[in-house]
Amino acid sequence: MNRPLLWETLYRILPAPALLFLCLLTTASARAQEAPYFVTYDHHLEEPGNLEIETSSTAGVPQSGQRLFFAPYVEFEYGVTGRLTSELYLEGQTTSGDGAVFTGWRLENRLRPLTREHWINPVLYLEYEGINEASCITKEIAGHTEISNGRNATLAHTHAHELETKLILSSNLRDWNIATNFLVEKNLSSSEGFEFGYALGVSRPLARLASGRPCHWCRENFTAGFEMYGGLGSTLDLSLRHTAHYVAPVIGWQINDNSRLSFSPGIGLTPASNPVLLRIGYTYEVQGFGRKLAHLLGAKTSGGRP
Amino acid sequence: MKRVPYPFWFLLLLLTAPLLLAQNADYRQDPRWHAPAEAAEKKNPLATKPDLAAGGRKLFTRHCIECHGPSGEGRKKAANLQLALVQEQSDGTLFWKITNGNPDRGMPSWSGLPELQRWQIVLYLRTLKLAAGP
Repeated sequence: MNRPLLWETLYRILPAPALLFLCLLTTASARAQEAPYFVTYDHHLEEPGNLEIETSSTAGVPQSGQRLFFAPYVEFEYGVTGRLTSELYLEGQTTSGDGAVFTGWRLENRLRPLTREHWINPVLYLEYEGINEASCITKEIAGHTEISNGRNATLAHTHAHELETKLILSSNLRDWNIATNFLVEKNLSSSEGFEFGYALGVSRPLARLASGRPCHWCRENFTAGFEMYGGLGSTLDLSLRHTAHYVAPVIGWQINDNSRLSFSPGIGLTPASNPVLLRIGYTYEVQGFGRKLAHLLGAKTSGGRP
Repeated sequence: MKRVPYPFWFLLLLLTAPLLLAQNADYRQDPRWHAPAEAAEKKNPLATKPDLAAGGRKLFTRHCIECHGPSGEGRKKAANLQLALVQEQSDGTLFWKITNGNPDRGMPSWSGLPELQRWQIVLYLRTLKLAAGP
C-alpha cells in the first residue's frame, strides 16, 4: 500500500465527516429503530409519509498498484404506505489522481407482503439502476468482481441498465435483528447472465431500556453489529472464483430525534475484494413529509378522532 | 448518443408508479385489528416501575407524536390515545399493537425497538389517561 497516497486521500476524505460530526453535536435533541447496516436490508420500512435523506460514502483502500477511491451517494427514501417504501439514489465517485464523475442513479421499491410480525419476515425488493462502469458505491455485490484500473472519464461512458431483485428475510429475536438478503442482478445492456449475491446482518441496540433524560451519549442511542456480503457467481459461471466478500462491523448512533450517523469498516476476505472499505453515513428524517407537502399544496387537514 | 431502449421507459413507469399512490385513508378504527388472546393477557413486566414511564415518554416523542400528537390526542390518520376506547385495552394488547403495527392503516411495526422499550411506551400511554382525567 502506498502510505503517502493513503494519508493524502484520508486527508481529503476526513474533513467532511469531521465537519458534519461537529454540526451534529450542536443540534438539539434522536429516532428510529433501524439497524445500522449499509448493505443488508431488514424488514423495517420507512414510516408512511416520512422522507429519509441519507448521505453516505464508500471509501475503498484497494490492492497495491491500484488507486484509492471515494464514492459518495445521496438517498431519498419515502414511506409510500405502511407496506411500500421507495428510494431514489444519486451517486458519484472520485479516484485518487483522477477526476470526479457522476456515476448514475437507482430507483428501488421494497414491498412487505405480510401485515404482522412473524419469526421470519419477508420483504420483496425491486431496483432499477441507470449507472456507468465508474460506479463503486458497493451498495451490493453480485456475480464476479474485476477491480478496474480504467480512467474515470472512460468508464463513465460505459453505461449499464441493470435490474436487481432481492428476497429480504429478517427476524427480531430477543432484541437482536438477524437479516439475510439473496439478490439476483441482470445487466440489461450486456449479456452477463444473471448474477447472484448475498448479504447477512446481525445487530442489537446497546441498551434495552430508555432513560428518562435527554442525552446524546446514552447507550440506548447506539446499535452495533456486523454485516457480511459478497458475490455468488452468475449463470455463466456459477462458482466463487473471482468473487468479492467482505465482513464489516457496523455501529449506528442516533444523534437526535431525526438524525443518525453510521460507520462501518469492511474487511475484504478474498483476492478479488478491496482490502478495506470504509463507509460512513448520515441520515436525516423529515417526519410527516407527505402531510406537510399535502398541506403546502392546499389539501385539507382535519383534527384527531378515535 | 446511445438510444435508451423502449423497455427502459416501461420499467421506469413501473418503478415510479408506487410514488403516485395516495397516502393511507383517514383514520377509522379497524375492527379487524385484534391482538390474539395470548398476547392480550401478557402483563407489563415494568408495571411496578412507574418511574420508567419517563423513558417511555422520550420514546413516544421520538416515534409516535408525528401521528398521535404530542399528548396522544390523535391526528387525521391516528387514534386519540387518551380515549377510553384505547385506554380500556389491556397492556398486552397495546404492546401487541405497537409490536405488529397495522401497515395497511399506516401504523408501522415497532418490533425493531427492544422489547422493554416497547413496554416503556405502554407504561407512558397509561399516563395519558391520567392526564386526560377520569
